[in-house]
Amino acid sequence: MLISCNKLKKHIQNSEKIDWLKIWDTFTIRCAEIEGVKEVGKNFDGVVIAEIKECVEHPNSDHMHVLKVDCGEKELVQVVCGAPNVRVGLKTAFIKVGGHIDGMEITSRPLRGIVSNGMCCSGKELAISDNHDGILELPMDAPVGMDLKKYLPIEDIIVEIDNKSLTNRPDLWGHIGIAREIAAITGNKLIPLEVEEVKNTKKDLDIIIKNPDLCYRYCGLKIENITNNKTPLDMQIFLYYVGMRSISLLVDLTNYLMLELGQPMHAFDARVVKNIEVDTAKDGDVYTTLDGVKRTLTKDMLMIKNGSKYFGIAGVMGGLDSEILDDTTSVFLESATFNAGSIRKTAVALGLRTEASARYEKSLDPNMTNLAIQRLLYLLRKENPNLVIASNLTDIYPKKLEEGQITLHKKNLNTYMGREISDKEVKDLLEKLEFKVTIKEDVFEVVVPTFRHTKDIFIEQDLIEEIARLYGFENFQPKPLKLELTVKEHENVFTQEYEVKHLLATKYNMHEVHSYLWYETNMLKELGILKDGVKLLGKQENNILRDDLSLSLMNIVNLNFKNYSNFKIFEIGTIIKNNLNKRVLSIIIADDEKNLAQVYDEAKKIIKYLFLVLKNKKIEISSNKETFNYYEEKLAKQIILDSEKIGELNILKNKYATKIAKKKIICTIDIDFDKYVNINKESILAMDVDKYPVVNLDYTIIGSKDIKYEDLKNILKEFKSNLIKKYTLMGVYENKYNIRYTLGSKSKTLENKDLLNFKERFIEYIKNNGLDIIE
Amino acid sequence: MEEELNSLKENLEKELKNCEKEADVLNVKSKYVGKKSRIMEILSSLKDMTVEDKRKYGSLINNTKKEMENIVNNFLESLNTQLKIDFDDTLDFDVNVGSMHPVTIVAKEVTDILKKMGFTIVSGPEMDNEFYNFEALNIPKDHPARDMQDTFYLDNSMLLRTHTSGVQVRAMEKYGAPLRICVPGRVFRNEDLDASHENTFFQLEGMVIDENISIENLIGVMQELLREVFHQDVLVRLRPGFFPFTEPSYELDCSCLICGGKGCPTCKNSGWIELIPGGMVHPNVLRAGGIDPEKYNGFAFGLGLTRLAMMKYKINDIRVLNSGDIRYLENFKIN
Repeated sequence: MLISCNKLKKHIQNSEKIDWLKIWDTFTIRCAEIEGVKEVGKNFDGVVIAEIKECVEHPNSDHMHVLKVDCGEKELVQVVCGAPNVRVGLKTAFIKVGGHIDGMEITSRPLRGIVSNGMCCSGKELAISDNHDGILELPMDAPVGMDLKKYLPIEDIIVEIDNKSLTNRPDLWGHIGIAREIAAITGNKLIPLEVEEVKNTKKDLDIIIKNPDLCYRYCGLKIENITNNKTPLDMQIFLYYVGMRSISLLVDLTNYLMLELGQPMHAFDARVVKNIEVDTAKDGDVYTTLDGVKRTLTKDMLMIKNGSKYFGIAGVMGGLDSEILDDTTSVFLESATFNAGSIRKTAVALGLRTEASARYEKSLDPNMTNLAIQRLLYLLRKENPNLVIASNLTDIYPKKLEEGQITLHKKNLNTYMGREISDKEVKDLLEKLEFKVTIKEDVFEVVVPTFRHTKDIFIEQDLIEEIARLYGFENFQPKPLKLELTVKEHENVFTQEYEVKHLLATKYNMHEVHSYLWYETNMLKELGILKDGVKLLGKQENNILRDDLSLSLMNIVNLNFKNYSNFKIFEIGTIIKNNLNKRVLSIIIADDEKNLAQVYDEAKKIIKYLFLVLKNKKIEISSNKETFNYYEEKLAKQIILDSEKIGELNILKNKYATKIAKKKIICTIDIDFDKYVNINKESILAMDVDKYPVVNLDYTIIGSKDIKYEDLKNILKEFKSNLIKKYTLMGVYENKYNIRYTLGSKSKTLENKDLLNFKERFIEYIKNNGLDIIE
Repeated sequence: MEEELNSLKENLEKELKNCEKEADVLNVKSKYVGKKSRIMEILSSLKDMTVEDKRKYGSLINNTKKEMENIVNNFLESLNTQLKIDFDDTLDFDVNVGSMHPVTIVAKEVTDILKKMGFTIVSGPEMDNEFYNFEALNIPKDHPARDMQDTFYLDNSMLLRTHTSGVQVRAMEKYGAPLRICVPGRVFRNEDLDASHENTFFQLEGMVIDENISIENLIGVMQELLREVFHQDVLVRLRPGFFPFTEPSYELDCSCLICGGKGCPTCKNSGWIELIPGGMVHPNVLRAGGIDPEKYNGFAFGLGLTRLAMMKYKINDIRVLNSGDIRYLENFKIN
């Protein structure tokens, strides 16, 4: 929202004592965020009011004129001008020789052979309007020779306030509200608005509110005999500076009031108004708004009806047939308050956010509607002294909004502030904002003005905020928290996740990636994999939440194969399975197809290492019958910890992997991280070291072609000897297993006969189990 | 005699110089200082010498023998330990280092700091319900934040959390007061993607509930946190803000680290950067969490972790963070 400092000055006493460029830094930390402060009207100097005394056509031009103008000097000045509206008697803006505009100095120079000593300016050239149809037309009583900047409020400071920071402050959506804050910050007083009271001696207008829940108040006034519909220049400049176009006095005044008070208003051509009804629309009805767009209505939309026909969308936009025309001399003024939520929903549904709806959706104070009409009347009367009030100021106000009453406990105030504030200071601060304060022993009884009581201030914490911000946050002293010395930790998920990430990145050179919570539709399509699951509403693409983290990483795998022939990535992320959040660690090893065996081996080592180092636990791997059908069935493994499944190891089926990259292998590991974090770390116990030397015996055991190590292990497990410390698989070649037995005794150094005895028994045992053995 | 001893020594050194293998040295050794070597001969002749000669040559012979033995042994040792290889250190080679996501690194840093101030880290679900994400946080049904265009609603009547604030009430219910938690986590907004907008990003929620917590505590914790995060003193500025779940609410700005507060494009010439929204926990939120607002109060704040990571590493396009592009991510070595 744009704010004019010239306008603010008119509302604050002693405003000349305020530094209007610097005050906004303070405003930002006391009230709302300022996005920019800009000085305007500085682009020219040496411009005076001049009257055209002579006007002849330029002999060498089809549109230029040669003028003699009176600019307050002894002699008339000759100037060449190309504007179409030049005429004798016109008073306009004139830059004298030596004056500047947009950084350029005006000099005497010939224009098509005739010397021009200066320049007549349009509003656009002076940057005070967007009118470039002709040179500026000043009123007849404008004093010739006067500096234009003295005559019109051209030099101004325009401030942009961040609308978002005003969301909760309906009272700040007009200049008055901002002026009130500035007055409070600088310790000045507001100047009351000049208004014209309406003596209700005429008839009431026919106004009915059918939905008092959606329309809180509706004020109307009929005014006739409006003959001057020309907006004064100073008001035009103000409107232009704050981003509005000047249209006509009546329209401009309704906008002016909205910018001044924050109250949106509407002026209908009184010739067409029969009776006003505020009612909701019928579903499916089509209505054409002022901007010429046909809009489909719903039963939730509040409408203004005239003679039972739609007349405007309440609080959003009027209709085509209600517009003020050039020959309009009587108007029906509307000043109403509507339900904020209803206006917002209507505006959003229609895609039509207007200046009016933006204000209404903040919850405006219904107690300013009649003030707005009286104020508009006052301003209109200035330009139309003979206007006639043709009706009562009709006021339909079913449920009056009263001031709020809040008890503020001194104890609570001091707790929140962290410091004591004197009663007087509290009273002063709040009264600056027009709250009424009664000091009692332990409390303040505070009356909240209605303009702060529509949605903003209801509880004592709201008052504390008002006190704290005006007190000034820079006056608070940072205070450390007192800490009870405990090591209580509610959970350690984050720490465990970090441990795992750190290990994978440092030990295995993996890269941590982040991906989205949903499958990429294009990737699924390309792979030809169908997924179903929880869906995002209102989205056609990327709308299925992932139930397999690894699969959702395939587009990242796809991307990285473009730059790397092999890589390892991981993510700890959420999946949605059976309508529940689950955390999963997913590791992907991507490599050339020919490296399948190494990749598979590495995958197993990674899992083993992870659990051994971080949990001091041994995991087992066995085949997995229950996995997604896009993984190789034969190589699908489950990771078992304490005889419970904790994860899976998979290889993406070749037919899918090929679609991601040719001749590549994509190995995926998924660990149930919810389970992982709940596994207690196996405690470490010290072990006795052998006192006597151990002996290693290496054997190669040869099994049948289809033997698995597990089969061999089961056999070895059954061979008992109290000399066995451990046995280790040293290597595998086809069906040949190199096993190393480590033998030793707690009580003595082994002798040859002990070894011979062991060897004999072991070899016999192996052979008896149908296996070959080489020593 | 002296001459002979000297020449023996010289010859030994000469012959050693030609030795390349250990075996050669051992041969030389036995030739010169072995049992049948000339020096041993001389040594054994010592006993037949006159007392005068013994005095004259005794120590000389012995010393020479020791010297010769030392020469051989030293040579042997140097032969064994000296590597014949030399390396070209100028060759280029890659060190494979993995990487952690920049957000992970920043989250760790921030939570480490908060832990020192007694905060514990908790987590919450990414798919949540309207109660925890909105209602419990005093965000009424018709609040703009609940609009379809901002929130990802799901077909199971749940939603993807729009902020980590949802964990506030969850934590209050679970752990009660007093409470001092931080919640790093991923949040979702229904936004179109561009260089500065993502629909998936990280926040960190912080909350303190205790007796007699003041605005000054909030400022104190924020200042401490930011100084540690940026490793320098930063100016902190509080402005009024509005959030339904805090009252009073604040926007916390820190002095712009790029220009030091003078004004630059990064801070839009204001000298300040909006960093941490927060405020005193709204009594309705405490009630929703089952905590008595008459007894306890507290503050909460939200820190944009993704934003912080972008500031810290000068990342200018937010989209790379969720791209999974290793070319980009591998820069973030573990530190």
